[in-house]
Amino acid sequence: MSKDLTSKPLFGENFVEHDGYRYYIMKDHDMVNLSELIAYDAIIIEGTSAKLIEERVSNIRKNLNQAFFLIPVFVLKGNFSLPIYVEELIDGSIFSIDQVNLVTPIVHKIHLRNNEVTINTALSYEAQLISKTLTYMYSRELNQLNAQLHPNSGIGFTFPILSVNFEPKEEFRVLEILEIAEKEGVLISEFHDRTHLCSQCHTGFLAYRECCPKCGSANSESQDIIHHFVCGFVGPISDFQNEIDDQLNCPKCTRTLRHIGVDYDKPSVLHECFNCGHKFQDFNVRAKCVTCTFDNDVQQLIGREISNYTMSKKGEMAAINGFTSTSKDIEDIIGTVKLDTYRTMLKYEIERIRQTDGKSNICAIHIANSGQLYSKIGSDMQKSLLKDMVELVRRNIRSSDMITFYDSSTILLSMNDIPLKVGQNIISEICALIEKLLKTNFNDLEVDINYNIKRINFKLSNELQIQQVIKDFYPDV
Amino acid sequence: MFDLDEFIAYIQAVGAAKLFRIFWFFVVFEFFRYVFIDFVVLISWRVKQYYDKDKLNDARAQMEFENPLVSIIVPGKNEGKHLFKLVKSLREQTYQNFELIVVDDGSDDDTPTIGKTLEKNGFIDLFIRNSVRGGKASAANLALRFTKGKFVVHLDADCSYDRDAIEKIILPFYMDEKVGAVGGNVMVRNYRESLVTTLQAIEYYDTISIGRIVSSHLGIYRIISGAFGAFRKDVMDKIEGWDIGPGLDGDITVKVRKIGYDIKFAPDSVCLTSVPNTFKKLSRQRLRWDKSIIRFRVRKHSDVFKPTQNFSLLNFFSFLENITYNIILNIKWYVYVIDMLFNFVSQIKFIFVANIFLYTASNYLKYIFFYPFRPRQNAPFAYFLPYLPLMVFYFGYYLRIVRTIAYIKEYFFKASYKDPWNPIKTSNKAKEIGI
Ligand SMILES: [Zn+2]
Ligand SMILES: [Zn+2]
Ligand SMILES: [Zn+2]
Repeated sequence: MSKDLTSKPLFGENFVEHDGYRYYIMKDHDMVNLSELIAYDAIIIEGTSAKLIEERVSNIRKNLNQAFFLIPVFVLKGNFSLPIYVEELIDGSIFSIDQVNLVTPIVHKIHLRNNEVTINTALSYEAQLISKTLTYMYSRELNQLNAQLHPNSGIGFTFPILSVNFEPKEEFRVLEILEIAEKEGVLISEFHDRTHLCSQCHTGFLAYRECCPKCGSANSESQDIIHHFVCGFVGPISDFQNEIDDQLNCPKCTRTLRHIGVDYDKPSVLHECFNCGHKFQDFNVRAKCVTCTFDNDVQQLIGREISNYTMSKKGEMAAINGFTSTSKDIEDIIGTVKLDTYRTMLKYEIERIRQTDGKSNICAIHIANSGQLYSKIGSDMQKSLLKDMVELVRRNIRSSDMITFYDSSTILLSMNDIPLKVGQNIISEICALIEKLLKTNFNDLEVDINYNIKRINFKLSNELQIQQVIKDFYPDV
Repeated sequence: MFDLDEFIAYIQAVGAAKLFRIFWFFVVFEFFRYVFIDFVVLISWRVKQYYDKDKLNDARAQMEFENPLVSIIVPGKNEGKHLFKLVKSLREQTYQNFELIVVDDGSDDDTPTIGKTLEKNGFIDLFIRNSVRGGKASAANLALRFTKGKFVVHLDADCSYDRDAIEKIILPFYMDEKVGAVGGNVMVRNYRESLVTTLQAIEYYDTISIGRIVSSHLGIYRIISGAFGAFRKDVMDKIEGWDIGPGLDGDITVKVRKIGYDIKFAPDSVCLTSVPNTFKKLSRQRLRWDKSIIRFRVRKHSDVFKPTQNFSLLNFFSFLENITYNIILNIKWYVYVIDMLFNFVSQIKFIFVANIFLYTASNYLKYIFFYPFRPRQNAPFAYFLPYLPLMVFYFGYYLRIVRTIAYIKEYFFKASYKDPWNPIKTSNKAKEIGI
């Protein structure tokens, strides 16, 4: 390591440079598009509240693009503390921007390891998330993925780097993904705890109450039943009590109860419901879901084991060589070509245009809410959704044009030998059709489709043109 | 050995006075009391029934109008296996405004599970589980504590009930407001099972059922069978439920009587029960019943004979009749046997046969003449005919011996306190204070 840790940082308007690394300084309430961050080596988030920091860190870490979710993130701390699970999503804190030299070694190490990993190109959301988790763990030299109790988690436990990809309501799917990862042999589980989830919405924020078996009300009172041996009288303890002293007197024979087991005993307990008047011995324990308000019978609840995970050797290899799922991958979708093929064909097209001055276009369709969407539907439905989309695109373009998946939420296609204007019309129509189709086929699923089309410029490389056409799809953080 | 001609000659030879001298026991106790008096009373009962026709219709209309809530209570131990059949048969009842309360008195089988399931599914309104057994009285009292009805009907889980049984057992309350409790008519379901059950069926049919019609009509009816009885809730509250048993069926009626209420028998409110199927089991059951006569009539409620302020002539007679029938008669029989052995020892063979003959004849007489007074048959008329001669031995010897043993055991040794029918903890306490 030849880096000089004592060298002075160089300050720019919204960045600081130290030892060849450029840190983007994300100011309070200052929105920035993720794509602009691609030029930086690390991010320093300056924030006045833990909540804002949490939001920004989450936005960075839940992005599916490796260029963003692996980027080192530091927090410039004010006088507030961050929740532990947020601490796990960042790479460190500094207390003044001058301290940036303290974190440079960390950035250096992360970048070295980031260069080793291969992100998987699988389309399946599960496979993508497993790959994400493994590469992040490798990048940060983390061997453990541990469950943490977390009040805002949908299931009560969070595995920060994995759970960050989900809305609280969908967090139960984290457990499914971990199960797949374990089956694939990349993670090894060890029992940690057990939890119960709502049968309707699969969240774990439940209010347990002892309820009347008849009407379900929790408004009840319990009393011991006393049996007076000598006269056979049996009744709730209140029958035996008086207002003057603590003595118990039998209402039937007026004798004083002296010794339990000798002259009386308590054979049972009885509860009385104040709502419906029902008297009963066994409460019906119910669990009301705080999230969806459904009142579960405890037998209905979904019991899940919560484990801690260790990355296996195979997991480490998967981080380095790319994770390929054997069970959950979505195979090639008919009508598409591989991304590499697309790249090559694009190169030829650029060459052709240079020579013939033709008018061809490169075009991208992107599902803006894919993370949220896929986290909800699972890989089987995701696959048929992508299939439907491709089929529709295929029907509306010429057979000589090519379709490929850039990633699981972005389709690239070529529209050769037509003017940009015409291409624009076609693509906008296709997108409208896609939204409509998915809405009818997938039960009112809200799908947010964006598109972009650009004329091929023979002066630029194929890779750069691809980046340009998808650039606008990145969200603000 | 025994010569019929000789026997007939002997009968012809002795005069009427001598015959009475020799068969006094039969003439006085059996024929006069249990054939002649019963027959006269039965006729008078029928006549009264005829004149009460309008009253009955009024009562029925009143009951239909009021539609009172009836609380059916079923206390018991290890009765789970019978519960589903019971609730199903109750759903068939003509009278439907009832609540069903089941108390599980410390069962050690799967009764709690069965009861809770039935409660959950709405077949039982309230199922209460006592994890420790407290005895039948406490279980019934616990159920009673949670009844909401105007009337309380006490059932046994292993009995079954005629479709109109509940309706018919409540009706007498509307005939006369002095009625505090009503007993149902228990018949034997398993009368074909063995000789013992057949003989018991005849006993229930002839002696118990008819006997109760008679005593109810005379106003001295005294035992409401535990298998089927109805009580006014306010009366039960006054007497504060059941006291500890055994024999609480008889005890509760005495308590009801003592506070001035009448007890009626409802012959047309029929319940079928399974009786013990071996002599051994039957003996055990009867020993318990007979011991309780001493314990409750002679010991606990002896004040009925004393002219205190609560003295009631009917109660006095009811008790007297009860004690006469059960205890005095038993002693008298031994007196008779001794009388015969001492004074007529040479003719004992004839006397023995003649007695059997007389009793058998009277049994047939009763069986046939009482026939029109029975509300309902549980077996074809002819079924019991061949068994009637055996009743002489069943009644005259078997039951009498069991009874004697019970009386001696209880009177001299207070054996009922050791009966496992009650938990030891309650029996000890009862003995301590002498009830
Ligand atoms: Zn008491
Ligand atoms: Zn209730
Ligand atoms: Zn829920």
